[in-house]
Amino acid sequence: MSGSVLDMKAAFPKAIETVGRLSDKIVVVVGDIGHFALQGFAKDNPNRYYNLGILEPTLVSVCAGISKEGFYPIGHTIAPFITERSLEQIKLDFCYQALGGNLITVGSAFDYSTLGCTHHCYTDLCLVGAYPNTEVCYPSSPNELVSLMVQKYNSKCLTYYRMSRASHGENFENVEFGKNILVKSGESITLLASGPQLKTALELAEALEQDGQTADVLYCHTYKPFDEISVQTSVAKTGRLFVIEEHIYNGGLASLALRCTRNIPSLRFDYHCIPDTFIRNYGSYTNIAEGLGFTAKSLLPKVAALV
Amino acid sequence: MSPPNSDLRLRIVELVCSGGGGHIPSSFSIIDILDCVYSKYIRPHGCDLQEESNYTFTLSKGHAACALYSVLHKYGYLTSADLETYLQYSSILGGHPDSTKVPGAEASTGSLGHGLPFTVGRALAAKIAGSDKVFFVLVGDGECHEGTIWESAIVANNLNLSNLILLVDNNKSSDQICPHHSLHEQFAAFGWYCLEADGHDPNQIAAAIQNAVESDTSKPRVIVFDTIKGYGVPMLEGHGPWHYKIPNIEELAIIREALSS
Repeated sequence: MSGSVLDMKAAFPKAIETVGRLSDKIVVVVGDIGHFALQGFAKDNPNRYYNLGILEPTLVSVCAGISKEGFYPIGHTIAPFITERSLEQIKLDFCYQALGGNLITVGSAFDYSTLGCTHHCYTDLCLVGAYPNTEVCYPSSPNELVSLMVQKYNSKCLTYYRMSRASHGENFENVEFGKNILVKSGESITLLASGPQLKTALELAEALEQDGQTADVLYCHTYKPFDEISVQTSVAKTGRLFVIEEHIYNGGLASLALRCTRNIPSLRFDYHCIPDTFIRNYGSYTNIAEGLGFTAKSLLPKVAALV
Repeated sequence: MSPPNSDLRLRIVELVCSGGGGHIPSSFSIIDILDCVYSKYIRPHGCDLQEESNYTFTLSKGHAACALYSVLHKYGYLTSADLETYLQYSSILGGHPDSTKVPGAEASTGSLGHGLPFTVGRALAAKIAGSDKVFFVLVGDGECHEGTIWESAIVANNLNLSNLILLVDNNKSSDQICPHHSLHEQFAAFGWYCLEADGHDPNQIAAAIQNAVESDTSKPRVIVFDTIKGYGVPMLEGHGPWHYKIPNIEELAIIREALSS
């Protein structure tokens, strides 16, 4: 998909250039990641672009300080270094002091598939979302990224964007922050997915159709605030819910969805997340995804058992 | 002879005694520096808070909160009634300063190593805005074990944050654990404009800060203040049990005597 409207690698610099035009109070701060890709914005806005170096906790604190002075910081580097390493800076410098800002990461889940545990990050959506004064989203197509940033770059909260390398393959035109997208309508089951796993959910829906079953396919790009109503509405209709996400269960989409549907009578629920173990394999993104069972073929028996 | 700022030192002790907690020696080691910053830069014309100041002060070593509260009271940010609630359930005054509650507290600190990078961000933003604001931030020498101090030192130098003045309370806490080679030489090696002064001599403090403020260097500035934990009351001085201890009645009498003699 390189060069297409679904090329996520090209999406970030384009998004920064697009959103960066909206306000001269936007300041982009990177931790030596994306530096060359962002040269377009940097050259046009030398006073609003800083490559601080490889010092992520300080990067987060600096962004909070920039926010304190009334600017809209956009901090960017690799997910585990900005969330897991710098979590205290997120907690104290941004969240407790109720300062707004934007942290946008690459290296979603196991996107850095050959680099091992140091560069994997499948706890981030839970960790950042655990604190008050945060918003958490997971854009997996270029239009989504731009659209979510346009809506939230000047938010009063800290907005965290987990940017996946792989797109889910859909080109959504209008994305509303905090609102799930009903990608496909059905009656038999609700398939709720985030990130690139929307593609798997759509493949599962197709497979179900061959057996005469139909699925609501809901796509979640915003974890916090979570769109409970769309999930409740769908599950009230189908009575069955299956969740797919590249994140641990705790604090992830499956737990969010179960919490808001737990009182629906006769709910049948299952999910597929990253298991409670470290990923120790290498290979491509697809290799690891397949190894973890993120394919329609391996998930179909679990889904079929629900309907 | 009583030390400078005996009134502020006594206020610190009274706060700790009334609230039942606090760090007296750590507060004593910075109180003379804080009073200079507030009296000469932040509130040079007294307690009129309507007057905009071009200077801000952030206490990064937040456990010395009682020193900050005492100064904020002296310069009109806090009332005596505020101080009376220190450490109580609904108080705005906790064991560490809270920028969401305390007028004049520029950052919520207490976890060491946050105030400096946070202030680096503010100083950078002021440069972007074309503002001539100046940012003081105070850290301890023990705090200088934190990696974010040196990350910030690299960034501030690289960005030529000449509007940043770092005040180091070198009360030698680090010597008990892992001594610094020389904080002055270390910051100089990171490219900062470095000064040293006695942190309990009002004239030296004022001269060093004036030098830092008025220097035309393009570099961030640091003043390494030679200080003594608990300075002014011999019983409290040095490194030991008084780091976090509440004086009893007899000890309070000794402290009062030392501060009034």
